[in-house]
Amino acid sequence: MKANGRNELPRQAFSVVPILVRQFKNPIFAILIAAAVVAGFFAQPDQSISIISMIVLSVVLGFYNEYKAEKIVDSLRKSVSYKALVTRDGKSYEINSELVVPGDLVSVSVGDIVPADMRIIKSKDLHCNEATLTGESFPVEKNSDSLDIQQPTPQQLTNYTFLGTVVANGTGLGIVVSTGKNTEFGSISRSLARAHPETEFQKGIKQYGNLLLSLTIVLAVSIFSLNAVLGHPLIDSLLFALAIAIGLVPELMPAIVTISLSQGARKMAQSKVIVKRLVSIEDFGNMDVLCTDKTGTVTEGKIGLKDYSSIGQEKDPRVLTYSLLCNSAVVAEKISGNPMDVAIWEYARANGVEGSLKLYEKIDEIPFDYQRRMMSIVVRNDGKTIFITKGAPESVLSKCKYAEINGRNEPIDTVLKSMNEKFVTLSALGYRVLALASRNVEPEAFYSVDDEVDLTFLGFLTFTDPPKKDAHQAIEKMKGMGVEVKILTGDNELVARKICDDIKVSVKKIVSGSELSQMSFDEIKVAVEEATIFARITPDQKLDIIKALKANKHVVGFMGDGVNDAPALYEADVGISVDTAVDVSKDAADIVLLEKDLLVLSDGIGEGRKIFGNTTKYVLMGTSSNFGNMFSAAAASLFLPFLPMLPMQILFMNLLYDTSNMTLPTDNVDEEYTKWPKKWDIGFVRKFTLFFGPFSSLYDFLTFGIMLFIFGASPALFQSGWFIESFWTEVLVIFVIRTRRFPFFKSRPGKWLSVLVIALVAFGTIVPFTPLGAFLGFGAAIPIEFWGLLILMVLTYLLLVDAGKVFFYKICKF
Amino acid sequence: MQYSELFSWWVYSISFSIVFLILVSIYLYANRCMKEKKTTVFTHAKNFLFVWVLIGLLFFYIFSINIASALVFAAGNVVVEVILLTYLLKSGKKEPEETEYR
Repeated sequence: MKANGRNELPRQAFSVVPILVRQFKNPIFAILIAAAVVAGFFAQPDQSISIISMIVLSVVLGFYNEYKAEKIVDSLRKSVSYKALVTRDGKSYEINSELVVPGDLVSVSVGDIVPADMRIIKSKDLHCNEATLTGESFPVEKNSDSLDIQQPTPQQLTNYTFLGTVVANGTGLGIVVSTGKNTEFGSISRSLARAHPETEFQKGIKQYGNLLLSLTIVLAVSIFSLNAVLGHPLIDSLLFALAIAIGLVPELMPAIVTISLSQGARKMAQSKVIVKRLVSIEDFGNMDVLCTDKTGTVTEGKIGLKDYSSIGQEKDPRVLTYSLLCNSAVVAEKISGNPMDVAIWEYARANGVEGSLKLYEKIDEIPFDYQRRMMSIVVRNDGKTIFITKGAPESVLSKCKYAEINGRNEPIDTVLKSMNEKFVTLSALGYRVLALASRNVEPEAFYSVDDEVDLTFLGFLTFTDPPKKDAHQAIEKMKGMGVEVKILTGDNELVARKICDDIKVSVKKIVSGSELSQMSFDEIKVAVEEATIFARITPDQKLDIIKALKANKHVVGFMGDGVNDAPALYEADVGISVDTAVDVSKDAADIVLLEKDLLVLSDGIGEGRKIFGNTTKYVLMGTSSNFGNMFSAAAASLFLPFLPMLPMQILFMNLLYDTSNMTLPTDNVDEEYTKWPKKWDIGFVRKFTLFFGPFSSLYDFLTFGIMLFIFGASPALFQSGWFIESFWTEVLVIFVIRTRRFPFFKSRPGKWLSVLVIALVAFGTIVPFTPLGAFLGFGAAIPIEFWGLLILMVLTYLLLVDAGKVFFYKICKF
Repeated sequence: MQYSELFSWWVYSISFSIVFLILVSIYLYANRCMKEKKTTVFTHAKNFLFVWVLIGLLFFYIFSINIASALVFAAGNVVVEVILLTYLLKSGKKEPEETEYR
């Protein structure tokens, strides 16, 4: 470990550089630099220095918050561990893959992400998907054969498996050659994670940013041109136009979004929900359909072998012994692997039958796959070579030619009907059933799936997985939150229906995999709306269901933990996995649950909606109060004989306004807001801007009137008075806009938001009368009557905006 | 009155912002509410209470600024605040229904 370092994947590295670079990518940075250069060039060093101070402050503010947020997320991401099964000094251990070192013997099987670059020394039907490394989309066969190639490429090294690639089929044993940055993957520093498509929220935020950016450019150019035409000093006009542009650009948007998401991720982690991809939190809140398997969500997920049976009078103990042999569980101090195989082992240990295995010598194995739905093994016992197959009853029975009845082989046709009836009965009682069959074969070097024929049926294994006590409550809670739960299961429809009956979930319709396979995509789109349960479905069908739901404009969550779930996890808007899932599922997921529980999930959904709510508040603030202020400043500059506010004053107000928004992510969100799924709607934002933007301008114009025609204000008094009014209205309106309730004080704002806004209002009010104020160009004493009028005017403004909400939300029903 | 040459500019500006707001209100209302069959003229008038307040405010603000009276301006604001608060408390008795996808 000392020599090679931890075996970390490049994607897990956390670096401050990209965060810092991101601060300079902000469009405001370019505008500020332009303003500083203009000011410096035209011999206004004070303005230039102040603008540079603003740049430094903006960068520090953004960097500090994003760094803090990323650090939280990084630590959360690291809490999702990837395991590796290593053999050291002859003993097997399941360890964190970061602890794998060169020289370790590592076993891999279907669904594993290869934990290091390894030379294969033993394999069985081993195929790896190396798309992340080589771009090859089809799984590549791997074996232990020696190669004689000079300077081979990774594609040519068929006796190597590489870190980050996925075991698509079979099993393998390899010796670790290199780890971490010394691997093929590390040397090309390519991200393992597939690029996820942009979420609806990301697209919406981008649309909004572009909309404001184009408005800003149009407004700034128009202001400069009109002021120049009207004969105002060119440099002042240019700096003023640039200041207006800075005021309009939503420069804090990335920081606000990141802070909101990271704080939400931290809160969700307390509920045992780990967010791997931050932006998925928004979609998590928007999700209105959740597709899930039933194991561990509606059932306890603790599968136990209840019993086994054979056809004759007495139970044949070979059913149990053979199922122990034909078994993929990893047996060490702790038994791990496929839950049904684990259950067989636990049953055997409890009943003391594992000792009989010593009489058998394993010859070969044909691993399980989801197409065959069975696995086989070849063993030697007492001079005989026995081929044993275990799997889904429909699959195994279709491969049987005989059935063993009281020690005699009879044609399967004589008992097939009764066996199928027994299978149906057991399923209807909610039991999962596996069938077991065998035959004697000739000794050979290799066996394949072609040998899974002419088998003799031996018996059934019956498993229980009791329903969760709180499953009904959890599903009802999800329903109450506007999320419909659909169960996608590999079990047959009888088992699925029985479980749903047990937990009192109404089943609208059950669609089976075979029915689904006969449907066109348009028919599937109809079926997904009608059905609650999809039974006996294949991985491809899971994908079709999710695609159909997405085509029907649903925001789809998919919860899965198996190898076959990875494509669906990628396809869903929100991929949810569990910490105990296979690596490939955890890697594909956006969200990982430390506990597979629907109730845990519903807490996370609520949190996602809160984050969406608080991010939306920032957008609505920016488009209403801020936009209104900048618009009135621009309009006033045209008819006033002086600038309504100096560029430095606008920049300073913008900085204070930005600071006031920094605690928005901590704000409370009204309970009714989190009741239903949300969707980003740029049309809504546009209407909100059109309607609420003019309120702010109206009261700015009113202040102009008061300052000019009641107080006959000098330019300095005008600027001080308007600065204070403008700042008060701009930041205090958050208390009105943040809630849909009216009057607004029926909703309690977050503690930190209230404290910061009030403190900033106090600070902004005092500043014009301090040395800093003098530096910023303020300087006149404000008449006492103005303060009285200001308080009344701001109060009227807040109440009028609140009344506007009644019209907008209640009467127009937006 | 100082800056009297700017007064007409100011009236245009404040009138423009209120007229713009009223037009937007009519546009939004027409989009969402006109399709309701049972709406009477009285209901429309009641729904537009907010707009009547705006029109009243426009005249009041222009009047009080024109006479340059801080006292009239203050008194008028208090009256408007009482009207708005009553309207809000009455409207807020029943919480706005949370629509899906918002």
